[in-house]
Amino acid sequence: MVNMSANLDAILPAIVIMVTGFLVLIGDSCVSAWRSNGKGLNSGVSLVGILIALFFTATRLNQPVHNAFSGAIIDDSFGRCAILLLLIAAALAVLLSTTYLENKQLQHGEYYVLILFSLFGAMLMVSSNDLITLFVSIETLSVALYVLAGFAKTEERSEEAALKYFLLGAFAAGFLLYGIALVYGGTGILTGNGGTTNLALIATSLRDLSSVAPPLMFILGVALVLVGLAFKSALVPFHMWTPDVYQGAPTSVTAYMAAVVKIAAFAVLFRFFNALTSISQYWLIAVQVLAVLTMFVGNILALTQDNVKRLLAYSSIAHAGYLTVALSAIAGKGAQLAVEALTFYLFAYTLMTMGAFGVLIWLSHKGRDCQTLSDLKGLVKVDPAAAYMMLIFMLSLGGIPPTMGFMGKWLIFNAIMQSGQIWLAILLGFASIISVYYYLKVVWMMCFSEPDKQTITGHAIEGWAVQLAMAVSVIGSLLFGLVPGFIQNMLGAAVNIIVR
Amino acid sequence: MITTQHFLVLSAILFTTGVIGVLVKRNPIVIFMCIELMLNAANLSFVALGRHFGQVNGQMYVIFALAVAAAEVSIGLGIIVAIFRAKETINIDEMNLMKF
Repeated sequence: MVNMSANLDAILPAIVIMVTGFLVLIGDSCVSAWRSNGKGLNSGVSLVGILIALFFTATRLNQPVHNAFSGAIIDDSFGRCAILLLLIAAALAVLLSTTYLENKQLQHGEYYVLILFSLFGAMLMVSSNDLITLFVSIETLSVALYVLAGFAKTEERSEEAALKYFLLGAFAAGFLLYGIALVYGGTGILTGNGGTTNLALIATSLRDLSSVAPPLMFILGVALVLVGLAFKSALVPFHMWTPDVYQGAPTSVTAYMAAVVKIAAFAVLFRFFNALTSISQYWLIAVQVLAVLTMFVGNILALTQDNVKRLLAYSSIAHAGYLTVALSAIAGKGAQLAVEALTFYLFAYTLMTMGAFGVLIWLSHKGRDCQTLSDLKGLVKVDPAAAYMMLIFMLSLGGIPPTMGFMGKWLIFNAIMQSGQIWLAILLGFASIISVYYYLKVVWMMCFSEPDKQTITGHAIEGWAVQLAMAVSVIGSLLFGLVPGFIQNMLGAAVNIIVR
Repeated sequence: MITTQHFLVLSAILFTTGVIGVLVKRNPIVIFMCIELMLNAANLSFVALGRHFGQVNGQMYVIFALAVAAAEVSIGLGIIVAIFRAKETINIDEMNLMKF
């Protein structure tokens, strides 16, 4: 076919990642048959693949919109921005993983293969413009992540996390698929000439037939798709799996999962609701309720945690709430600002979450994971570098200036004020105030307590890989908090195109 | 005469059965069978709707869904075997190492 090269061109970064995945898969089995200490090769090859994909994405960031595969894939600037974030998150995760996995004796080639394949799924997810493509790519991401969550085969917690994640993820997939079926039927009834799952076509038919109320089947379908996606992005009341999975999975997997799934799920939620803006009166209230519930339940449950991984899991739920607030501003005035805020916040969230989990990885010793608050007691006297980095990430997560977390929250606040939902902005403020308590509790433990015999004995991992990842996260969180203009301009120009 | 509505009602019943099964059953393998029921309810809707609209899309989507379901089965059973090795049980109520 003539168009095939143009089609493949639209998903070039994803193809690079997939090919790298296969290379690592084959290379690992060849190398381990040939010599026993070729383990560093896997992470090296993965990193090179990710950087090549990053280069391809970054150089084409502002090219015009490009529909491929009969409209199933859309290659627009928003998608490219999301892919850029996904690749940055994956690169940081690979850097953080190597030595940590060696210490846990989990340094298998499959790990990087699964990371790359799930990354491929996530990259297709953010560029899919058809609900079926979306479903297949979500499952590509999830199926690889189920295995990664249970990657520490000898640890019961890890296996338990994998089982919980798997059962709830598959449950969510059921809702999602049934919702897609109903949307397919609903659009068929609405237009009278056949159903479609293509988001662009759904958007046009809804806009053309805006005088007709959409059929009940369509509304039900949208609701079920929302439930399915809310499971994936851990919105309350569909968040129950999150703390257990985040706590049980190996920390490097948690870091990867926390960032990549959030980016992909929110990009998809945005694309989905962006197609439905002309019937926002039906879904806006649901999104607002989810946002408020997620912010408050996430923050309040985080208050009592004494396991840092679990605390960060609840905090990631709360951050999903803030992102959902941005999502509820995409229908009316302030849509442009909302998309900008959403993308900026996802970037901030990636850096600070990766960084916070990265500190835990840095402090994890052979046979002892750094997990609980008492592990961090008086850390500033034991290992000042790790403590100060954690401090920066905690301040950023809590949204305290001059960090990136503050800028992100401020942009969301701004967008939601523009759209006229002032009550939501006020609730966002209250929720952030609650969150400061438990972030500062971690800081208090580190800086104002005396170290005792439970305290972890400083960072365990030497080597440039982890240090580079930490440096990128710290510098990013501070720099883009102080000088947000650069990122904002980039994102602003990029997302300009998709909002009508 | 069996109309499209009959298919859709059947698929809604199957889906609801699946959801209830997931919520009340305690054995992960049975839960997983219920999830398959949910997925297949969706597949039935796709086929029936595709036939109703005279489109091939509906049937095509089912192939995708089947492939995804097959991948999930293989991973899921693998995880269940792994957890049985670690804990000697697969009862959901005993998966309680981590809570609040």
